[in-house]
Amino acid sequence: MNIIVLVKSVIDVELNIRVKDGEVVKDGLNYILSKWDENALEAALQLKEAGDGEVTAVTVGPDRAGEALRKALAMGADKGVHVNDPAAAGSDAFGIAKILAKVIQRNAFDLVIAGRQSQDTDLGATGPVLAELLGVPLAVNVIEIDPKPAGGKLNIKRKGDVGVELIEIALPALLTANDSLNEPRLASLRGIMAARKKPMDILTLSDLGIDPETVGAAGSGIEIVEFQPPPQRAAGQKFEGEPEEIARQVVELLANEAKIFA
Amino acid sequence: MIFTEEHERLRETVRGFIEQEINPHVEEWEEAEIFPAHEVFKKMGALGLLGITKPVKYGGLGLDYSFSVAFAEELGRITCGGVPTAIGVQTDMCTPALARFGGDALCREFLAPSIAGDYVGCLGVSEVGAGSDVASLATTARKDGGDYVINGGKMWTTNGAQADWMCLLANTSNGPVHKNKSLIVVPMKEKGVVVAKKLKKLGGWSSDTVQIFFEDVRVPQSNRIGEEGKGFTYQMMQFQEERLFAAAKGPLTLQLLIEETIEYTRQRQAFGQSILDNQVVHFTLAELRTKVELLRALTYQATERYVAGEDVTLEASMAKLTAGRLAREVTDKCLQFWGGMGYMWESRISRAYRDARLGSIGGGADEIMLSIIGKYMGILPKRPAGEFNAMPGEKEPAKEAAKEILAAPVPAPGAGD
Repeated sequence: MNIIVLVKSVIDVELNIRVKDGEVVKDGLNYILSKWDENALEAALQLKEAGDGEVTAVTVGPDRAGEALRKALAMGADKGVHVNDPAAAGSDAFGIAKILAKVIQRNAFDLVIAGRQSQDTDLGATGPVLAELLGVPLAVNVIEIDPKPAGGKLNIKRKGDVGVELIEIALPALLTANDSLNEPRLASLRGIMAARKKPMDILTLSDLGIDPETVGAAGSGIEIVEFQPPPQRAAGQKFEGEPEEIARQVVELLANEAKIFA
Repeated sequence: MIFTEEHERLRETVRGFIEQEINPHVEEWEEAEIFPAHEVFKKMGALGLLGITKPVKYGGLGLDYSFSVAFAEELGRITCGGVPTAIGVQTDMCTPALARFGGDALCREFLAPSIAGDYVGCLGVSEVGAGSDVASLATTARKDGGDYVINGGKMWTTNGAQADWMCLLANTSNGPVHKNKSLIVVPMKEKGVVVAKKLKKLGGWSSDTVQIFFEDVRVPQSNRIGEEGKGFTYQMMQFQEERLFAAAKGPLTLQLLIEETIEYTRQRQAFGQSILDNQVVHFTLAELRTKVELLRALTYQATERYVAGEDVTLEASMAKLTAGRLAREVTDKCLQFWGGMGYMWESRISRAYRDARLGSIGGGADEIMLSIIGKYMGILPKRPAGEFNAMPGEKEPAKEAAKEILAAPVPAPGAGD
C-alpha cells in the first residue's frame, strides 16, 4: 500500500508564547511535529507493518519544516517530500491543500492520512479540502483502522456526532486521525541516525506547476489581522482546614457568589 | 556547538520514554526499593539507548560521546536519583572497558545482550575496605588450570540484586597494586556468588544496592577483559566516562528542581506576599540557576574535548566535583524554601535532597576529584600510596596509565565498528 502522511511543523504550545504588537514573538520558540500528525504517521506505519508498502511524509513549510519531516523519517517513514517555497507562506487551508494535491497526484496512492487538525491553528480544514481536490472519499476523526484492507476497502471507526461510526471506505481515500487512534512510537536512535540518509524531495511551486498567485498570502481567502494573547487565567482560591469546613465554604461561594444554584 | 538536530531528537525520545515508562512508576519503585531493570532495559534497548557509543557489530550505534552526554542530561527528568544511576551503571560504568578491550567472544556473550537490554550488568570495584582507594582492594582471582578462582567481596554494588553479570576488578597477582589487577566478567549465577543483602540507603531507593561475596567462584580465564594486570588502567579509563556521565546527569535535574521551587514559592503566601517575592529567595534561585549553567558549560566543554580525542581527566573531575557539590547546594537551599512541605518524606524536593547526597560520594568522592585536580595542578604532596601517587620506587601510575591508553591501538572513544 502506498500511503501518504501529511505532517506539519508547529510551535510547541507547551512553552509560553508571547504576543507583541499583534504578532507572535518568534524568538525562543520551539517547533515540533504537530501531535495529531504523529497519530497519522503511527497509523500509516502500522498499516505498512501489517502488509507491505511505503510511507511518504509530505510537508509544506519553510526550512524548519524539514525538521518535522526528518522526525517523521526517524519514526519510520520511508521518504519525505518538502515543498519549500517562500511564495507558499501565508497559505490558507485551501492553498495548502492545492499544493498537497499536486504533490500527491504525481504518483499513484492508496491512502492519505492527516492529523484531524494542526496543533497551532486548530483549523481541521486541510484534510477535507484535500479529499475534495483529490476526488477521494473522506473520513475524519478516525479512532480505529483495521489494518487488513479487503476488496479495495478499509474498515475503520470514527468518532461522529452521536457516537462511533463503523465505516467501510473505498481506497484510495483520505483519513484524519484522532489522538485516540494509537500511541505514537518513540523514534529509536537507529531511526534518528538513519533519517538523514532517507530520500527527501525538496520542491518549489514551479516544480509542481503551481501559479504562486493562487496560493500563499496572495491566494489566501482569509487574512490574519492580528494575534492576541489568550486572557490571563485569574488566580485560583485555596481552601484550608477540615474537609467539612472546606465543603461548607465552597458551597456557600457557589451559591452566593457564583450563583450556580439560582 | 557539539549538538545537532539528531541530539535534539534523541533527547525527545528519552523525554518521551521517561514520561511513559519511568516517571509514572517511580513512587512504586521507591516503595519497593528496586525497579524492574530487565523490563525497563529491554525497552530502552529496543530504542537503541543502551548502546549509544558501543560498537555497531554488537548492536550499538557507534556514536561519539556527545550523544551519551545528551542522553545522560535528559535522564535528569527522572523524578528520582536511583534509576538514572542504575541506567548509568549499565551504559557507562560496567560496559566501556568490555566494549573497548574485551575479546570478540566475550563481547558477543555479555556486551551484545547488555546493549539489547536482555542482560543487566553491574560493576564490582568498591569493597568494604576499598572505596575511593581502588588500588587497595582485596578480592583475588587466582589462576587454576584454565580458570580464575575468585574470593573476596564487593560492596555498594548498584544493580547487584538483579544483575546477570559483573565487571569485576580483582587482584590477579601479588605485584605492585596498580599492575596486579584485572577486569573479569563474572556471571552472577555462577556457583559461589552470594548476594548477601540488599543495603538500606539514605537515598536512591528505586535502585537496588547490594553486598556480594565470592567463595571459590570459578570463571574461565577467557572472561578476562583485555590484558592481565591492566585492570587498574582500564578501570581508571572507564572512570573518565563515568565521571562525565555523572556530571551530565546534573544540570537538567537541578534546573527542573529550581523551576519547581519557583512554582511552589510563587503560589505559597506568607506575611502578605509570595515566598518568591522575598529577595533572599529569588536572588538565591537566580544564583543557583547561574551555577547550573556553569556546570552545564563545563560539562559540554569537557565533552567536546573528549569527543576530539583529548584526555579530559582534569575537566571531567572538575565537572563531577561541581555536579556533586552543586546538587547538594541546590537541593538544600530549595528544600529550605519549601519549608515544612520540603521536610515531608513524600515531597519531590526531599527525595532529591536525599538522592543528591550520593553525588559527592559515588564514582570517586569529592576528595578524590580534588586530589586529581590538585595532581594536575602540581600541588598534591607526595604520599606513599594511593590512586594518584606511586608506590615507592614505582613510576607515576596515573600518568603511565594515560600514556598507555593513548598509545594503545584501540578505536577512538565512540568509534563505530
